[in-house]
Amino acid sequence: MTQQELTAYIQSSFEGKLTLLDTGRAEPMFEVRPDDLLEVARRLRDDLQLKFDYLCNMGASDTRERLEVVYSIASTTRRLRMDFKLVLGYENPAVESVTPVWPAANWYEREMNELFGIEVKDHPDMRPLLLPEDWDQGYPMLKNWDAPDFVRMPEL
Amino acid sequence: MPELRTEEFQINMGPHHPSTHGVCRLLLTMDGEKVVEAVPYVGYLHRAIEKICENRTYHMCIPILDRFEYVTSMSCNYVFSLAAEKLARIEVPERAEYLRVIMLELNRIASHLIFVGTTAMDLGALTPFLYGLRERELIMDLFEMTCGQRLTYNYIRIGGVSRDIPPQFVPKCREAVRIIGGKLADYEGILNENPIWLARMKGIGYADPQQAIAWGVSGPVLRASGVKYDLRRDDPYSIYDKFNFDVAVRWNGDNYDRFLVRIDEIRQSLKIISQALDGLPEGETRAKVKARFKPPAGEVYVRIENSRGEMGVYLVSDGSEKPVRVKTRGGSYNQLQFLPEIVRGRGYLIADLVAIFATFDVIMPEVDR
Repeated sequence: MTQQELTAYIQSSFEGKLTLLDTGRAEPMFEVRPDDLLEVARRLRDDLQLKFDYLCNMGASDTRERLEVVYSIASTTRRLRMDFKLVLGYENPAVESVTPVWPAANWYEREMNELFGIEVKDHPDMRPLLLPEDWDQGYPMLKNWDAPDFVRMPEL
Repeated sequence: MPELRTEEFQINMGPHHPSTHGVCRLLLTMDGEKVVEAVPYVGYLHRAIEKICENRTYHMCIPILDRFEYVTSMSCNYVFSLAAEKLARIEVPERAEYLRVIMLELNRIASHLIFVGTTAMDLGALTPFLYGLRERELIMDLFEMTCGQRLTYNYIRIGGVSRDIPPQFVPKCREAVRIIGGKLADYEGILNENPIWLARMKGIGYADPQQAIAWGVSGPVLRASGVKYDLRRDDPYSIYDKFNFDVAVRWNGDNYDRFLVRIDEIRQSLKIISQALDGLPEGETRAKVKARFKPPAGEVYVRIENSRGEMGVYLVSDGSEKPVRVKTRGGSYNQLQFLPEIVRGRGYLIADLVAIFATFDVIMPEVDR
């Protein structure tokens, strides 16, 4: 399956669940609604044409307007790769855990929780990962995070 | 006579334990001498590299990312440059691509040589460590004559490489390829008849292929379980489709196969380097890239085959001079979160755990970032 065929296939069989975004990137990016996440993830993994059995990477980003969570997945048997993301607001952001579909998400979700303050529902083991156990200075990867000894680079 | 009572107890292995290759704490639940459960605690080397990168220009990110996975800095340089080039749609000159492949493969060999040495040292054999570092020195010399650095290279830049190779590089590199190729049999010879080595390696630490894929394990660890998945072949980047090489694969999924697969990979990398040296074209080594580099707004995830598995960067640009988000992904991260699954309930000894940790080739700065 080529990249165009993959995009067309996803657009037709995931209609209404995965929307193609035009973000001017080399590869297509889809958007999923937070409520549909688990169902879409499961179907992407189990679809016999796709078999997305491998989670390459997932992580949040703060664009200053909203929070985004991006999932990059691949298929080890079908040689396919795709990305999709979901958009969250700053008020009590929360996503479903995808660990039942891809166990690899376990640490990525722990990391996302402590660095961005995104709640992960039904995660099997939500402990801090990278930050010290007694960390109390908020969520450091948010753009408005600040600390007394944090020096921003001057505008160029 | 009172009845003997036994119970499980917990013990910390690390953070400062010589076999954890950095600073990693494994909380072990023990039943006598047997490991029941191993839970990794990480973060001791967390330097907030991703946050630092958001606060720098694109060019300034590359030397920071050198420290992301310092055993193969070339890959860190390369994966970030590749992401930035994809965003800005930069065409890289052909000579630069050849030089990049040569450097990436030399770095892969250097990393695998360290793997052979440290794994043997963790199991009590010191000689292979000296052998491995002796051959690695040839590669370090090549890097030093090219970019002046021996560990954090900052050589591969957005649009190409920082400078052309010196004239003596090609003959020296051919000589290094010849010497390393001839020494590989020595490593296998000294280790594969060592009963202690074999007892800790054969049949220990079996990784089930389906489970490994689900946990995001990649690279030599996955290929030792019989999954023929190599991004150089399956998701080709740079000019790897021009070279003739085999994907090293082994089938037993134990410590021993993880060692053999890496020795095979060194042979394949030597093959790629020889072909790249033969085909090395003349020409420019860097596309024109502005000092005030501003890629158009967009986002991209790129991934390459590093010596520890898939290395990736998710890069978000808003059209300004600084990236909005640099999310790095390294093979060690997934290998380490998979470790408890391999150990749980199999009744391994701590010495077996040391061998499993070593053959996973986990490097902590890549996990903690």
